[in-house]
Amino acid sequence: MNLPTVAPIQASPLAPIAPTVALPAPAATAGVPSFASLLTGGIDAVNARALDADKAVHDFILGEQVPVHQVTYALEQARLSMELMMQVRSRLLEGYQQLMNMQL
Amino acid sequence: MQAMEISRSGLDVEWRRMEIIAQNLANIGSSRAADGTLYRELHLVSGPRTGFAGYLKSGTAAASDLSGVAVYGIEAGDAPPRLAHEPGSPQADADGNVAYPAIDTAGQMTLMMKTERAYEANIVALNAARQMYAKALEIGRRS
Repeated sequence: MNLPTVAPIQASPLAPIAPTVALPAPAATAGVPSFASLLTGGIDAVNARALDADKAVHDFILGEQVPVHQVTYALEQARLSMELMMQVRSRLLEGYQQLMNMQL
Repeated sequence: MQAMEISRSGLDVEWRRMEIIAQNLANIGSSRAADGTLYRELHLVSGPRTGFAGYLKSGTAAASDLSGVAVYGIEAGDAPPRLAHEPGSPQADADGNVAYPAIDTAGQMTLMMKTERAYEANIVALNAARQMYAKALEIGRRS
């Protein structure tokens, strides 16, 4: 009596779940800085301004030959760039909160 | 903040000019410098600053190249010295004359007032630019 041979169990090739379509690359293409690097770059610039103002005040106090207007100018620039950063921050926070309150 | 930078360069130059005027006025009675030469009235030569980009573009200063003002140099005037007859002075020459620098006091005073006004004008312009910048930050502000 011939028993039919049981076919060996073998894994059938599963269809890959993940789509084979190549996902589009993130928006950060070459040459265009990403949003995060823009932000950190801006913060670094603000920090540099603040350090400049700090150094100007330091030099002035130590009696270097620094005209007064350079000190006040550095301070003012630091203040303005700081204000710009705060404005950017509040706009960003507003956008974030609107996203978080979105009804899904 | 281009406008503020330009005003700042103006402040720098006027400050320097004021230093030169102060130096001239302080040396009005200097008959001789330490190396024996006569002090000469100094003049500050300033002009529009030419950016590197301007040179690259045209080779000369472009009219649209707004980069403020710069000190080109400090030059001594060539006016003949003012001779004063002071036979008792140890620095008198054979004729009993002592050479003093020919500094035009009235001219220096006039220049000083102009410098002061120019400095103030630059500060006013800088403040105006600063206020415009600060106002621009209010665009789209919620509260």
